[in-house]
Amino acid sequence: MDTGFNWVKPMLLMIALAAIPSVSLGAGLPDRIALDSLKNLYDSVQFNHAGHIRLLKDCAGCHHHTTGNLVEDANCVRCHQNSSETKVVACRGCHAAQPFSAEAQRKKQAEMKLYHQDKPGLKGAYHLNCMGCHQKMGGPTGCKDCHPMNKTGEALYNTGSFAPKKTGKAAKEH
Amino acid sequence: MKRYKKEGKELVDSMYRKNERKWTLKEKLFLGLTPQQYMAQALRNPFNWILAAIFAVGIPIILGRFFFGLSWVTHSSCDYPWGMFLGFGLFAMVPLSSSGFQLGTTVEVFGRHDFEPIERLGLLNGLLGYLFAVIYLLVDLGQPWRLPYPMVVSFGPAAVLFLVAWHVATYLSVQVAEVSSAFFEWIGFPVGKRGVRKITLGLTVAGIILSTLHQGALGALFTYAPGKVHPLWYSASFQWLHFFVSSLPGGLCMVIAVSTIAVKTMTWRCDDRFKENLDRLTISLAKGASMGLATYLTIKLIGIAHDNEWEYLATGWGQWFMLEMFIGVIAPLVLFAYGIKNRLVGVVRFSAFMTVFGVVLNRVNTAMITFNWKLAEREIPHWREAVISLTIFAIYIVVYRFILYRLPILYAWKTADELEPVAETARTAKAYAGEERLAVGTSYKTNEEASFQ
Amino acid sequence: MKRRDFLKGCMLCGAASSLGLPAKKAWGSGSFEGYSEGMGVLVDLTRCIGCRSCEAACNKEQKLPEPEVPFDDTSVFEEKRRPTEKAYTVVNRYENKGGPVYRKIQCNHCNEPACLTSCFVNAYTKTKEGAVIYNPKVCVGCRNCMIACPFNVPGYSYSSATNPVVKKCIFCYDTRVKYGKPPACVEVCPQEVLTFGHRKDLIKMGHERIRETPDKYVDHIYGEKEVGGTGWLYLSGVPFDKVGFDTTLANEPIISNVKDFLGTVPMVLAIWPALFTGFHLLSTRNKGHDEGHGHDQSKSTREDSDNEKI
Repeated sequence: MDTGFNWVKPMLLMIALAAIPSVSLGAGLPDRIALDSLKNLYDSVQFNHAGHIRLLKDCAGCHHHTTGNLVEDANCVRCHQNSSETKVVACRGCHAAQPFSAEAQRKKQAEMKLYHQDKPGLKGAYHLNCMGCHQKMGGPTGCKDCHPMNKTGEALYNTGSFAPKKTGKAAKEH
Repeated sequence: MKRYKKEGKELVDSMYRKNERKWTLKEKLFLGLTPQQYMAQALRNPFNWILAAIFAVGIPIILGRFFFGLSWVTHSSCDYPWGMFLGFGLFAMVPLSSSGFQLGTTVEVFGRHDFEPIERLGLLNGLLGYLFAVIYLLVDLGQPWRLPYPMVVSFGPAAVLFLVAWHVATYLSVQVAEVSSAFFEWIGFPVGKRGVRKITLGLTVAGIILSTLHQGALGALFTYAPGKVHPLWYSASFQWLHFFVSSLPGGLCMVIAVSTIAVKTMTWRCDDRFKENLDRLTISLAKGASMGLATYLTIKLIGIAHDNEWEYLATGWGQWFMLEMFIGVIAPLVLFAYGIKNRLVGVVRFSAFMTVFGVVLNRVNTAMITFNWKLAEREIPHWREAVISLTIFAIYIVVYRFILYRLPILYAWKTADELEPVAETARTAKAYAGEERLAVGTSYKTNEEASFQ
Repeated sequence: MKRRDFLKGCMLCGAASSLGLPAKKAWGSGSFEGYSEGMGVLVDLTRCIGCRSCEAACNKEQKLPEPEVPFDDTSVFEEKRRPTEKAYTVVNRYENKGGPVYRKIQCNHCNEPACLTSCFVNAYTKTKEGAVIYNPKVCVGCRNCMIACPFNVPGYSYSSATNPVVKKCIFCYDTRVKYGKPPACVEVCPQEVLTFGHRKDLIKMGHERIRETPDKYVDHIYGEKEVGGTGWLYLSGVPFDKVGFDTTLANEPIISNVKDFLGTVPMVLAIWPALFTGFHLLSTRNKGHDEGHGHDQSKSTREDSDNEKI
């Protein structure tokens, strides 16, 4: 049953591995980036980086203060006027994949004086960034518009082949 | 039964038959009739057929509730966790049972022995009301077999319900003890009766404490849901007082109601002492109930003024509230005043039924009808829920009647000394009628008491 | 007067009152501000897109029954739902001027929970991690907690005949929060609507978000003060009553409503016995101790002797 999908994971991994170094080194712009932090539930997003660059022109549209036009927000400018590009521009460079783990909580406690306490995790950063813009500019906003759901995802959401069988009796009793 | 009495059948009202032989237990159970005669009179009574019909439908449904779960019999949902069993069964039965402690107090604490002919009815009414409130509760609880848990397994002492559980449990025992003297007379165990007699005052005072607390506690249960009970039925400061005070006329009027039914439907069982005194006692009880109703009306108004809820009176809920107050409080007050002044027992009795209805309506309103007034959907009880409630009430009536038929509640148990000197009995009855107090130091005394003097 | 009887009566009163004594403790309990290290979740409604992932994750984590419709079916938004025994969390949609606003509902894990204080078998516990958990083994099923909960959260498995229990969000205490992990809904949320952290930090964070972007938020954190404070805190871009919150709740915990009554309990226990025994003595004093009870023991001499014979 699963055989049809066995090739997907290694494939994804390969794409992901290929994507990471090129992005984090900042050497050359990747045209496609596989966003796979939800790969247990969804196929990885084949993010059309080049397309978004063409559309937005401005890197800072997504990469806020790390690359492209630097800080513009009047509030941020006060401190960050002279901040330069950061070495790491990939989302995952700053946004933790596990923002709420016990370890992350401890780290947060240790850095209570840090001003930017309220930093979303990686998944949150992706979605808040993408969705905010997509809603404004009419991009796709449905979950499956960006990443098709895989079997595990279907099981979690009780959808697709895991959809509840609607019989009158079952619906009544459960 | 009327027929048998007319035929001169001998009824059990003492340990001995006329021929000096002791009644056997079986004879006592059959009221001195033969089993055939007993069955015949039972079948002649059309009310028994109605009861039989109710049981035929209701008992299987009650059993079904324990096999198929609560969802089979109730519409109780997550928003409306308490339905008819508690709204009617628990919250309405308990205030109507406050008669036990009130008559106990009147007779035993305040020494008003002129209330004695009806004291036992008041006590029994209290006991049965509580007992069946607990039975309603058992049907409603998710896991009734765990009912003793708050006493033995796990304590939640901050909870009002913890108080209610403890108080109802202890009060039930107190009431069993209070009523047991009638049972001991009937069964022929005077030692037990005297044992109870000795602690009567203690039992009565314990009854007052427990009653005050948990009549109020039932009200206080609703202070957990300040946003859910409609403001007109809710008062953080006075909720317990509203429940406690309204239970006073509720209990007294219930005794009037039950005594009315008893004297009309089982005249044969009431002795002359009861019958002759009943009108006078009814008026006296009504006086007490009027006082309670007046107090209740006052604190209800204070409650509204305290939380400044006048504006709600103009709403639909407000009209419903005013209707409840009119039917259950104001109209009975006026009728009581008129009935007492002109000594119209019929008016007083009618008014007592109204008060009982008013108290029930108040409890059902608080617990069910106006509960969750902010939610759009009202909970309509399942028909099986209504059937179970009716069936348990029918069982209540049957048990009530069974006891009234047998135990010396409506009649005084004749002891051997009394059987022969008829004049003595007549004199006692006269004394009870309030015409003369029983003189102290007559033959009507035990050796023990005599030796005290 | 039989002095002995009187004393016995008093002793019984005493015994009866001592049975009621645990009540005193209740009155003594002061208000509770919550454990300082308690965890919580800050829910930012401006971020929620109504994907219902939290519902799905909760369903699997808590091993709840299969839903009636898939978790990616948005038709459920056509009616307002509440948490039940089959779903510990639900998301509702509220149409507002600026578009739909979604709101996740679950147990708010109050600092001083009404369910806990109303439970007469102490089935609820507020853990130091901030979770309000429930012990199904002692629950009698009175459902007072459901009456008491100001947020209408607990559900009850009415359909079970043998073991019906209360079912509500337990903050994934057993499987996650106890081990420092975030609850399943927080972990799955794509938009980071849910921020898991120490409650006291979350309050600061919430106020910081309001301060930094005052146009985006209503200047209020729902749950900071309501009913004594809740572990789950809400930020909203529209007035809270527009998204189904009960904005009439007081800042005092629910139990403070009940304290008026609980306060009278020790008083009644202490004063009534003496008061009414006093009444009795006063009102029977001049009646010559006749004890002329209608159902009096005085009449039973012959029966006594009979019984002795037997």
